[in-house]
Amino acid sequence: MSEIENKTEHGSMDGATAATAEDPKNDTGLGLGVIFFIVAFLICFLSGWLLFPKLLYSKHEQPFNFDHVLHVEEAGDCESCHYLRDDGTFSGIPEMASCLDCHTDEPMGETKDEAIFASEYVAKEREVPWFVYARQPDCVFFSHAAHIEAAGMDCKTCHGPIDETRTSRPYEENRLTGYSRDIWGKNIWGIKKNSWDSMKMDDCAVCHVEETGHKGYCFQCHN
Amino acid sequence: MIHDKKAHKYGMVIDLDKCTGCGTCAVSCMSENNVPFKEDESDKKDSITWMRVYRLTNGRPFPDTEVVYMPRPCQHCGGKGDHGHSPCVSVCPATATDYGYDTGIVSQIYTRCFGCRYCMAACPYHARYFNWWDPVWPEGMEKYLSPNVSPRMRGVVEKCSFCYHRYQLAREKAYVNGSGEVPEEDYQTACTTACPAGAIVFGDLNNPSHKVHQIVKPDPHPDRLNPDVVGKSRNPKVFRLLERLGTNPKVYYMSEREWVRKMGDHYLDGEWDKVKNVYGSASHE
Amino acid sequence: MKVDRRSFLGLGIGAVAGIAVSPVGAKLTDDFSIWTQNWPWTPVPPDGEISYDRSVCNLCPGTCGITVRKIDGRPVKIEGLNTYPVNDGGVCLHGIAGLQYLYDPSRIKTPLKKVNQRFVPISWDEALAMVTARLKQLQEDQNPEALACITGSAQGSVPGLFRHFMAAFGSSNCLAMPDLESWLVLTATTLHGPKRTLGFDIDHSDYILSFGAGLIDGWGSPVACIQAMAGRKQREAVLVQIEPRLSNTAAGADKWIPVNPGTEADLAMGMCGVLLKENLFDPKFAQGFTGGFMRFNAMVQKEYPLDKVAEVTGVSAADIQKTATAFAQAKMPVALPGKGRGEGAQSLKEFAAIHTLNCLTGNINKKGGAFVKPLPDYLSFPDPVLDDVAQKGEAAEPLAASVQELVARIDQSDKSPVEVLFVYNANPCFSLNDPSRVATAFEKIPFKVCVSPFMDETAMASDVILPVSTFLEQMEDVPSKAGLAASVVGLARPMVKPVFDTRSPGDVVIAVAGALGGGVAQSFPWDNYEDCLKQVAAQIWNPLTRKGHVIVSGRPPAGSVETDFSFLAENPDTVKPSGDQEFTLIPIDNFRVPPTVPAPSPFAIKTVSDRIIKGTDMFVEINPQSANHLKDGGFATLTTPAGSVRVRVHFNDGIMPGVIGMVKGLGHRLNNRYVSGKGVNINALISPTIEPGSGMDAAFGIRAGISKA
Repeated sequence: MSEIENKTEHGSMDGATAATAEDPKNDTGLGLGVIFFIVAFLICFLSGWLLFPKLLYSKHEQPFNFDHVLHVEEAGDCESCHYLRDDGTFSGIPEMASCLDCHTDEPMGETKDEAIFASEYVAKEREVPWFVYARQPDCVFFSHAAHIEAAGMDCKTCHGPIDETRTSRPYEENRLTGYSRDIWGKNIWGIKKNSWDSMKMDDCAVCHVEETGHKGYCFQCHN
Repeated sequence: MIHDKKAHKYGMVIDLDKCTGCGTCAVSCMSENNVPFKEDESDKKDSITWMRVYRLTNGRPFPDTEVVYMPRPCQHCGGKGDHGHSPCVSVCPATATDYGYDTGIVSQIYTRCFGCRYCMAACPYHARYFNWWDPVWPEGMEKYLSPNVSPRMRGVVEKCSFCYHRYQLAREKAYVNGSGEVPEEDYQTACTTACPAGAIVFGDLNNPSHKVHQIVKPDPHPDRLNPDVVGKSRNPKVFRLLERLGTNPKVYYMSEREWVRKMGDHYLDGEWDKVKNVYGSASHE
Repeated sequence: MKVDRRSFLGLGIGAVAGIAVSPVGAKLTDDFSIWTQNWPWTPVPPDGEISYDRSVCNLCPGTCGITVRKIDGRPVKIEGLNTYPVNDGGVCLHGIAGLQYLYDPSRIKTPLKKVNQRFVPISWDEALAMVTARLKQLQEDQNPEALACITGSAQGSVPGLFRHFMAAFGSSNCLAMPDLESWLVLTATTLHGPKRTLGFDIDHSDYILSFGAGLIDGWGSPVACIQAMAGRKQREAVLVQIEPRLSNTAAGADKWIPVNPGTEADLAMGMCGVLLKENLFDPKFAQGFTGGFMRFNAMVQKEYPLDKVAEVTGVSAADIQKTATAFAQAKMPVALPGKGRGEGAQSLKEFAAIHTLNCLTGNINKKGGAFVKPLPDYLSFPDPVLDDVAQKGEAAEPLAASVQELVARIDQSDKSPVEVLFVYNANPCFSLNDPSRVATAFEKIPFKVCVSPFMDETAMASDVILPVSTFLEQMEDVPSKAGLAASVVGLARPMVKPVFDTRSPGDVVIAVAGALGGGVAQSFPWDNYEDCLKQVAAQIWNPLTRKGHVIVSGRPPAGSVETDFSFLAENPDTVKPSGDQEFTLIPIDNFRVPPTVPAPSPFAIKTVSDRIIKGTDMFVEINPQSANHLKDGGFATLTTPAGSVRVRVHFNDGIMPGVIGMVKGLGHRLNNRYVSGKGVNINALISPTIEPGSGMDAAFGIRAGISKA
């Protein structure tokens, strides 16, 4: 480096700093830089992994706890409440009318949740505003009939062992997209261990390729 | 059975002699498919009408003038050789439109489209429309929107889907019935069922029991003179639009009147007389 | 150790690297792209169980059966109802757009009263009290005949309730707007005696001679007519269309005969002359001819010789001769009156002359011919209870034979003979000829009550508005009208709860009657409209509610028919387009622009050609041969004795030279920006002419001039 360049380079800077930087024995700045790098890396990496999901999703408790185990015991299998209608469409979460096939405005058991159901919803003739974990966006057409009737698939393959749950976990909604967290999956990396861990289009495509040899045409699942 | 193994080829034939130009097909389509409207729809270039009705005249002076109306949905082109390379599908950089080899229907996925409008430039039939504005319904009117078709947003292209959602619903019904097969009457487009004159016939061009097949009598072999053209009608009254381009539309038109059939393509002087007797429309020299 | 630039660099790079290998980047990219596809303002229609419900469309005289597709009870689509006897699955664009009327921006959401030229929302109680107070005043003044009422159509129980109310109140001034059915009733009454109407079996006829009837342009029951026309070619039935412009009906006809506008009656008379002269009429049927058939015969031979008719109408003598002969020799011929949709200003002479062709061939009450039907009498209202005041009012002479005549009476008097006016389901301030005169006459009426779902031109001219439900929100009997061979009564049922604070019009009448007390209240012994309908339609109620419709008469009516020629034998004057300018302006009925009430839906307006409306500009059609210096697409000034407007010119080879055509039903001024302010209301350019003998406005067209603007 020539004198002139040196001057030009450091002209606007503090002379002392420039001198230490020039001194090869005095390279603690770099060492500090490495430490800063590691600290910043770890903070950002960890918060991206652990804190970011907490910020990205808002949590909502269901209106009251729903015990699937109890209902399976009493009512039978999944199709007793989540059935295909005669026209082939899927009924989804039951409406109040279906609940009232068994329930009355008098509680059948003694749980606090049933009391809420009876007093807040049955008595007031309001539908229960359940959060739907598996809700797909408006552009998706998902045919339960095709998967259950034609492909003979099990509910569990996509929905997991929901029949074995005694409590309703909180519903987590992506603040940016409004989607349920179940679509991307619990794992923020998008890694899935079970077939039901995520429900994005790629997950559909993987299975479709395996089962049918083709991932399908756009309109098969979109509208 | 997960898929129907047999490939369908859904298409329609429109009888222009029956068409009254009443516009019912267009409104049925708008109502079925959540098509929006805006204050001024008289600029037809930006007026979204998946089904548009054109007025054709024979151009002769009073009193020999004749008029017919030609409804124009998306033609659901099979592309050259009917291999699924429709003009729009071939140019889409986003795979927002694809060719369904199981149905022959050309899709349009609004959430995937980013609005480059190449497909509009590629479409020889002006069947595609761009959303220059976000759709806005007057207060309360959004209550009549159907959940079976996603409302579009600003910046995407939309077009006729042959009411694919009706096919989706018909298939669900067929699965529950256990038949797996969609009967002809269970999948009909909104324009077809609405037409008060019964001018539109819709069905599977591959299925000889369907009415549309019986009217169109599509030639299963490529045209002798122009192998790009497949599915040419063997009914002398039936023609397709710009058939010689080899886009292989699945929308056929029918008319007794020669001048109407001649409107289906551009002909040089004297050309029509040479070709008119080959199946009623142009041959493919 | 010192903190320097590099350590900060390390901090930055570390942060970036940390985030880069964390899931943030990938996840946010994915979420961000999803976010751009799901704008929060793009509506997401809620999904649910699909169900179908059936009803009857009441938007036009067509009365088609409809099925409403609902998602969890929310209507999303209207379609035609299969097997319904009128339309068998067919439907038209206006019926499909019915849901747009439900949420129309110009719906009236609550009762309103006018204060200082502005409308103020009021409660139903206050609105009904205001109306009742005015009516009580009339009773106290012993002046019940100063109440007048205008209804959209005359058929069905709701117009029936209005008439029943007027009768009980003591006023005979209840008038219906001129629709096709009212012209047919007038024709049948004139030729065959009272309480009859005409129907036409176009489904089976083998030779249809249409004098401008727009069989695929919205005439009669539009869907039923389109279906009949679609089957016509297979039946090898002939359609001859006589009109000055190549309408869609003419374009699809076997033969189009252009005729000078306003001379259709003369042409029909000329054809009658051919049949009489050549003895081509049915002698057996002629035995029922009374009232001056010989006089008529002599008059026609004298006044309507072929060459004179040819000269007046512009149709060659050979064509008249040939067409009349073919018509008479057909097996099942039928001649159809009613230009365009057949409503508004028409002519009794024309209707009668055309129907005389049917009578001469004797194809009356036979398959494929014209049916002379008794008016449907499935409704039986109790006799009104008249108190002294009402009896006095009942004895008074009716003010007018038609709404247009009533308007003329009010317009010409200093003090309006009408003090209170009810308007139900009609828009005279838009759809009558010279609507500005209608508005002026309305201003003279001290108190106007509009019973309507929409804030249209007439509602805006009213003092109190009682908002009523649309056909999708209420129960009502819907009798078929407008020239169908069969008489069908359908039942419209509520498809959805009223969207706004509206009531059924029947309930409104019953409430007003109840509040008045006395004889009027006694004449209305029902709690509500449903209760009333059940009782007055008792004879068909069970099948009506079970099946949704009842066919009152399907076959040709039995028994012989007498025909009275005394009206035509006098050779009443043909109403000619008034004025002396070079051109004749005629209205065009376009299928996509609906009849007058209600105004077009946004969807319907969207389908209208850009050669009818461009922006707010109105196009008129003119033949290039007579366009002189005008340019296609250019601006021009159109002038008639009634007014002058700026229009754009559309060259159409399919219109007679010397004729200017303008689409009817546009140019609304309402609180609905999708429909309002587009184009010109042709009625504003035509001055009414009351036809002698009918008392109706018969000004179908008017002379006009056009010059480059």
